[in-house]
Amino acid sequence: MGKEIVAMILAGGQGSRLYALTDRLAKPAVPFGGKYRIIDFPLSNCVNSGIDTVGVLTQYQPYVLNEYIGMGQPWDLDRIHGGVHVLPPYQQASGSDWYKGTANAIYQNLSFLRRYDPEYVIILSGDQICKQDYNDFLEYHKAKNAEFSVAVMEVPWEEASRFGLMVTDDEDRVTEFQEKPKEPKSNLASMGIYIFNWDILDKYLTEDEANPESSNDFGNDILPALLRDGRRMYAYRFSGYWKDVGTISSLWEANMEILDPEHSGIDLFNDEWKIYSRNSGMPGHTVGENALIENSMITDGCRIGGKVSHSILFSGVTVEEGASVEDSVVMGGTVIKAGAKVSHSIIAENVVICEKARVGEMPKNGEKDIATVGSGVVIGAGAVIGPKAMIKEDVKEGESQC
Amino acid sequence: MLNNKQDALAIIFPNSYDNEVPSLVNERLMASIPFASRYRLIDFSLSALVNSNISNISVIVKRNYRSLMRHLGAGRPWDLSRKNGGLNIVPPYAEKGIKVYNGRVEALASILEFLKGQKERYAFISDSNIVCNFDYKAMLAEHMENGADVTIAYKNEPIPYGFMNLQQTQTTDLYYTLDLEGSRIKKINTNSKEYGPQNLSMNIYLIERELLISQIEKAYARGDVFFERDILAPQLDSLKVCGYQYKGYTARITDILSYFDENMKMLKPENLDALFAGGNIYTTIRDDNPTRYIGNPHVKNAMIADGCVIEGSVENCILFRGVHVGRGASVKNCIIMQDTIVGGKAELDYVITDKEVGIRPGKVLKGDATFPMFVPAYKHI
Repeated sequence: MGKEIVAMILAGGQGSRLYALTDRLAKPAVPFGGKYRIIDFPLSNCVNSGIDTVGVLTQYQPYVLNEYIGMGQPWDLDRIHGGVHVLPPYQQASGSDWYKGTANAIYQNLSFLRRYDPEYVIILSGDQICKQDYNDFLEYHKAKNAEFSVAVMEVPWEEASRFGLMVTDDEDRVTEFQEKPKEPKSNLASMGIYIFNWDILDKYLTEDEANPESSNDFGNDILPALLRDGRRMYAYRFSGYWKDVGTISSLWEANMEILDPEHSGIDLFNDEWKIYSRNSGMPGHTVGENALIENSMITDGCRIGGKVSHSILFSGVTVEEGASVEDSVVMGGTVIKAGAKVSHSIIAENVVICEKARVGEMPKNGEKDIATVGSGVVIGAGAVIGPKAMIKEDVKEGESQC
Repeated sequence: MLNNKQDALAIIFPNSYDNEVPSLVNERLMASIPFASRYRLIDFSLSALVNSNISNISVIVKRNYRSLMRHLGAGRPWDLSRKNGGLNIVPPYAEKGIKVYNGRVEALASILEFLKGQKERYAFISDSNIVCNFDYKAMLAEHMENGADVTIAYKNEPIPYGFMNLQQTQTTDLYYTLDLEGSRIKKINTNSKEYGPQNLSMNIYLIERELLISQIEKAYARGDVFFERDILAPQLDSLKVCGYQYKGYTARITDILSYFDENMKMLKPENLDALFAGGNIYTTIRDDNPTRYIGNPHVKNAMIADGCVIEGSVENCILFRGVHVGRGASVKNCIIMQDTIVGGKAELDYVITDKEVGIRPGKVLKGDATFPMFVPAYKHI
């Protein structure tokens, strides 16, 4: 039996602007929000929207992501017919290709889609933080009798030129697409989330592939081709929380916004739209005699002996007595030893910050630098890591890096 | 040992000692009592078995087992949802007017046909009132080394207060102390009142499956009730029954006070390390968000699971998943089970709340260190 809709998540992003954090994992696998990874958001949105067939297109550093998704059970996506499938580029009789662009990634998996004989295909991005009901989007697509729909956000006009923009008529039918224009004609930014009628997707991807001039990208090639042919294209306005966490500062910001759901609009504490993730299996966190915790989020397996202020701690983080963590994101398994001080930083998984080391600084004079320490790094006792530092390798005792 | 997963199966009795903790088993049984912020007692037995590569596990339930069934489901969280073996829940056989069994003999007799059809050479038998990360492999190794027919795990410790208080007339809840000569058991004492450390049985038994079947068949025909008292104790000369001393961390639940104290012991890092060192303990996943601390709440010496929202003060407490401590509330020396809401400015001291309890704002509830106050599930105060 055919599926009404199949989701394809583009998860090949290298995330090179996340530097030390994406050295060993793809961007969608980057930990987020205390116990999640970025990919949990589109996967959970799919399940909550009633989409039970999902392809995850991976390319760069896929191992962590592959293992994490596994059979898809944490998202209830282990299904007999459908479920979640990781789709890496593969060897074909005609030779193997890396995914050349976003459109090519889907093109190479048209046979996967054909298996489910879908009416619609939704293309999602694996590196955005957003709680969105794709079912509302699909209803809109159907109501407009559209062949293609794109989810858009209204952005401030002064920032519009940083985005791909949809110029629309009164009915929200797309009349023009502007990619990062100097003179924006619209403030409707594309979220990179599309719904295609299956036959349209199949036709345009196949034609695009046959064109040797094409960069095989949805924004550059497919959208212009649809416009050229006068296809029924509509913009779907989304007004909830949405964040592309492609940079260290946006990743840090989005984490901090979780601590303030009353104002930021991203509410992980709402049971109506749960975000699922693979569980650490650790016991509840413990808080010691002399600990101090304020405005923070702490999860299973943490041991708090020191001070934690306005921070997010992932599973199994230890903050020893006399250590302090402020305005920071500390990922799973990291140990912050006695007397160490971590401020305004992102610390990746399984880092050891030894006694009396200092990482990052609280911002002065409006600077917003975020010190970043990559996974598995050991910061020696008494070492000092400056607020602009990106640390990928061990730092010796007493050394300083800025 | 146990390289081959077919080597041993396990049989768990989840209702043993239910009578000792009446308030906690009002709507559940011993095995599904919550422990250490996010687990149920049976999680420890199941996880330790799975970590020892034993994945054919039968749970023989007797009464009040709905909450356990809900918790166990198809056994997936413990990786026990499998084609061969896996989790096998055996409800009482309620046909032809057969009454619900009393002792282990009747219970085991009810699964004889199942046992005969299995392939494993050995069978472990266990209760679920002891929290520990038991090493079943080590016990089997010692069993084989001793050439034993039956091995009983024991811990050298004083008889718990809850057991000492058992009424002599209460015949269903028995405990056993072992007199040993070397590793061989010379005598099994029932409900001894000796003071000081004893070789107190953990009620974990290891026996060859074929031997178990033949012993149960004989005992059932005789009308015997208790495995230990009626089968093992009289045959200590003809069967080689050995003791296996367990030296790891244990928390034995024998009454409401020991339940309270053993939970509180988890606040000491050395105890937590000792219990969780031997491998992961699995439980059902609720997909709660991480716990959120709002403002600057006073939190000291506490164990807190995910899904909680902490706005008030928490000291010397165990908080289970989804608990909300309101602004200005003070929760001290308490065990607060899942999804309990403590209203603003409420004060709780030495209180155990069962799940989904509501404490209205400003309420004051006080128990005592020797007698914690218990609030039953779903109660609103």
